[in-house]
Amino acid sequence: MRRVERLTSQPAWALGGIAAIAVPLFVTLGMPSYWVYLSTTATVLALLCLSVGVVFGRAGMVALCPMAFAAIGALATALANHWRIDLPFPVLILAAGLVTVPFGVAVGLPALRLRGLNLAIVTLSFALAVHAIVNTVGFPGGEALEVVPRPDWASDDPAYFLVCWAGFVAASVVLSWVGARRGGAAWLAVRSSERGTAATGLSVPRVKLMAFAASAFLAGVAGSLLAGELGQLNATGFDPLQSLTIFALAVMVGARYPEGAALGGMLAAFLPELLREVDLPQDLAGVIFAVGAALGLAKGSGGAAADLRAAGRRLFSRYLPPGRLPKPSIVDVSDSRRERPAGTEVVLDTRDLSVRYGAVIALDDVSVRVCRGELHALIGPNGAGKSTFVDAVNGFTRLTAGNVAICGVDSTTAPVHLRARAGLRRTFQHERTVADLTVREYTRLVAPDADPRDRDTVLAQFGCPALDIRLSSVDVGRRRLVEVAAAVLARPSVLLLDEPAAGLDAVESRQLGRRLAEIPTTYGCGVLLIEHDVEMVAAISDRVTVLDFGRVIASGPPAEVLADPAVRAAYLGAEVTA
Amino acid sequence: MNAGVVLGPEAPAGLVVRGLVVQRGGSTIVNGVDLLAPPGEVTVLLGPNGAGKTTLLESLSGRIPASRGSVRIGGRDVLRSSRVARARLGLAHVEQGRTVFRDLTVEENLRVAARTDELNDAYTLFPELRPRSRVAAGALSGGEQQLLVLARAMLGRPQILLIDEMSLGLAPVVVRRLLPAVSTLAAQGVAVLLVEQYAALALSIGTTAMVLFRGQIVLHSYAVELRHQTDRLHQAYLGGVDHSSQAKELA
Amino acid sequence: MVGVCIVLLYRMTGVLNIAQAAVGAFGTMVLLELLEAGAGFGVALLAGVLAAAALAGVLGALVARFYSDSSAEVRTVLSAAVLVGLLAVGFRLFGNDPRTVPSLLPGSGFAVAGVVISSNAVVLLVLAVGLALGVGLLLKRTRLGIILRAVSSRPVTAEMLGVRVAWLSVGVWAAVGAITAIAVTGIAPTRPSNFLSLSLLVMPAMAAALLGGLRSLGGTVAGGLLIGVVEGAATAISQVSQYRQVLPFVVILVCLLWTQRGEVWDAAR
Repeated sequence: MRRVERLTSQPAWALGGIAAIAVPLFVTLGMPSYWVYLSTTATVLALLCLSVGVVFGRAGMVALCPMAFAAIGALATALANHWRIDLPFPVLILAAGLVTVPFGVAVGLPALRLRGLNLAIVTLSFALAVHAIVNTVGFPGGEALEVVPRPDWASDDPAYFLVCWAGFVAASVVLSWVGARRGGAAWLAVRSSERGTAATGLSVPRVKLMAFAASAFLAGVAGSLLAGELGQLNATGFDPLQSLTIFALAVMVGARYPEGAALGGMLAAFLPELLREVDLPQDLAGVIFAVGAALGLAKGSGGAAADLRAAGRRLFSRYLPPGRLPKPSIVDVSDSRRERPAGTEVVLDTRDLSVRYGAVIALDDVSVRVCRGELHALIGPNGAGKSTFVDAVNGFTRLTAGNVAICGVDSTTAPVHLRARAGLRRTFQHERTVADLTVREYTRLVAPDADPRDRDTVLAQFGCPALDIRLSSVDVGRRRLVEVAAAVLARPSVLLLDEPAAGLDAVESRQLGRRLAEIPTTYGCGVLLIEHDVEMVAAISDRVTVLDFGRVIASGPPAEVLADPAVRAAYLGAEVTA
Repeated sequence: MNAGVVLGPEAPAGLVVRGLVVQRGGSTIVNGVDLLAPPGEVTVLLGPNGAGKTTLLESLSGRIPASRGSVRIGGRDVLRSSRVARARLGLAHVEQGRTVFRDLTVEENLRVAARTDELNDAYTLFPELRPRSRVAAGALSGGEQQLLVLARAMLGRPQILLIDEMSLGLAPVVVRRLLPAVSTLAAQGVAVLLVEQYAALALSIGTTAMVLFRGQIVLHSYAVELRHQTDRLHQAYLGGVDHSSQAKELA
Repeated sequence: MVGVCIVLLYRMTGVLNIAQAAVGAFGTMVLLELLEAGAGFGVALLAGVLAAAALAGVLGALVARFYSDSSAEVRTVLSAAVLVGLLAVGFRLFGNDPRTVPSLLPGSGFAVAGVVISSNAVVLLVLAVGLALGVGLLLKRTRLGIILRAVSSRPVTAEMLGVRVAWLSVGVWAAVGAITAIAVTGIAPTRPSNFLSLSLLVMPAMAAALLGGLRSLGGTVAGGLLIGVVEGAATAISQVSQYRQVLPFVVILVCLLWTQRGEVWDAAR
């Protein structure tokens, strides 16, 4: 399996490697000096695009201040020079990046609460504020015409270009590496759903702050490199308009990916020149970026680079067979509950849960117990409070009263991700997988410790798509299956499944029912299943609890509960018995 | 299927749907539905959660696009028409979840839909709204909000009224107040298509009834017959319906 | 007053338009061009306002056509892109030199307790308050206003009641664009006026809008006044006067952190 993993990811790496070597050769050997200078600018701007790519492209936060971070990096560099702090150049650059990180985190802090519009306003006004300060204070040594020196070994333009290029390549490699791991997946997860991310046990604030820190670091390094390139700095290069332009550019090219960022840098540096060559006004570039970004947004794609990648994947998929999964072993286990040991250990214990929204009582003194090895079904008509119950147990909804204990530990006040780590996993009625990830990446995000062999078996059992299939390309029902399988792989003590069969056809949902029936014994957890398919519930559950208008109206073995006239009445309307 | 529904060439009034297919997120939610809602009758559409009832209604009113099939309002195919165009042809949709304009008062809510300044029709049918006319709609009780939404839909003088899960989250006693209003509207010549999960209540005012299961109509019958055959209904809800017998139901 | 326009557009169409001031500035610049070409002030003003209305209308139509299903977030990013594009166009058309903008009204103003208040400022203030009141009345009393409010809270539901939402929103964009042009023209004499700096008026305006909670027009006017006063005070104290552009940031940050303190989870996702 490992070999297959390496194989499928190779084309991208190989192409990237070739580009990493070919570009500098081309630039340093074949270009007039002015174009080398422009290439340096392009590289630095590409680095800035990468910075936007992390915070917006990956984590989906609208931060309109890349140039402000760059200004801080440049300022730090200029200060170090002004104070005659003698550091080797690479160290100086990295230090400038590090200095920027706290600012990034500081701007990121409001992002824990603010999103979308509000965050955009905050970051844009931050950009304006930084510009105002830099504009007023000026860069140190500015009046004395002090020049930020380049290192001796890279004093001429081609050599300095190589330094910048090396920085960009290093950043790309690190980001791609992180992106293929849990950290990068977590950024994408935060973008697609914060709730979904927290439910997998990741701390959303940490993930967001990491994104801001990484973004600020990259921008700080870029600013520092810019200081070295220009020698002398002035504030107009760092005004908010530049931030906006870089942002629009990053959106247009899809700066999540290195090639997108490189393209962005090139466009920003060369396009005005090219326009001048053909006697068009240079500022047409701004219009082009704006239109490009608008088109990218309208399509809802990840920008030019994402389109390229998708095209590349289609091309490659013709030549590379997709990773195969072993055939699922079809075992009919519809009667397996007879062999199931009677559960004694209570893994989920809720007592008198009440949730009120204003005057509306969504849950009223609901007590439910789930034991290890038991499949407990929660049913009830639409609007009975089933989903509210799951949200309350998992920590999304604030309780008005009552207690939640997971594996005997009181978790009533614990945040969502800690409940998840305590052994509570859930799936969502509207699935919250991360569309940008492949099945492999998603399972790694949710269940980082799962053994690959286990993973393949479980995925196959649930009828999931192959490992390298991107979740965006499969239908909702199948995504939900992946969500369920990944949650099982996380080896929870309690698993809450919110209508896992929705979106499946009759045959598929019957198959899913059989698989669900196996979970409690095979994986030693307690399952709370919300399901409206009463037939399925009757066939596979050990206990059934019925909710109506936020209250428990019946609870017990399925046959008994489903025969209860009150339950039948709740389902078909109160007057059926009258 | 549906041999009982006569779809003559002379374009019957009301709502006529043929072979409607609706896809959402890559899966087919509504799979080839034929139905007819004639003027002056309440046609009841039943089915368990997730059967595709809401999706079906939403595609009829243009809230979401349909993939294939035809939807005719008074003989005109509106499958590709905009929501506004459908509304102006006389289609009204009472959405799930009591979609009042919360910040507007009751009276203002009604004015949005009214073609004239005449709100009396609404107050006549729903007198309990009159004393509340200056109250913000968001502050009404759930039942009052549902009344308001019905009244609002009615003021547009629709020929066809789609009602989605009127009873959702409401106590049966409130629903019992709402149903006669729906009957009254039908008696005035409106074609009502009523979607419900509570079968008994809806069947009490319906003329014909259908059960939708996994995107397909699995049962089609007179409401009055189904009312006395709850076991058949139970069966249809669980998907295990006897397909051979249903075609004869309306013949 | 630009703040009032932003709030208006946001409430009516759900777009928080970062490019709003740029649209207004576009109108102002058209006015200036015409003045320089020798047109009368009245004609120039009318042309400028119409230009801004047309530009805004086109933007609104594009948004309604292509981005009607996008999230507010996407639209905000879009408006940032629009700002970049507009600035480029504006730079091309109008150059980057600061211009002197004639006051809407001649006259030097009067002094109250030693502080000189220009008649221009008074007129603007009256306009802003009048606008807030007028729009408030329009929304409360007329059928059009009621429909506009309905559209802003549930556009799809309104459409299904037969309201032509797309046309309405283009109309709102155009009207708001026109008003913004007047506002920007009014503010312009007090600032170094090139297209860029006028466009960036959007920042204090946003701050004012946020003080009004992005909903209340009256609150926005009050917020705008507060920011203006604080800015004026800051200018008076020489140590901080250089940093007055930082003010909107501080105001926005504090204000947002306060109002959003309860929003732990992203809305529906």
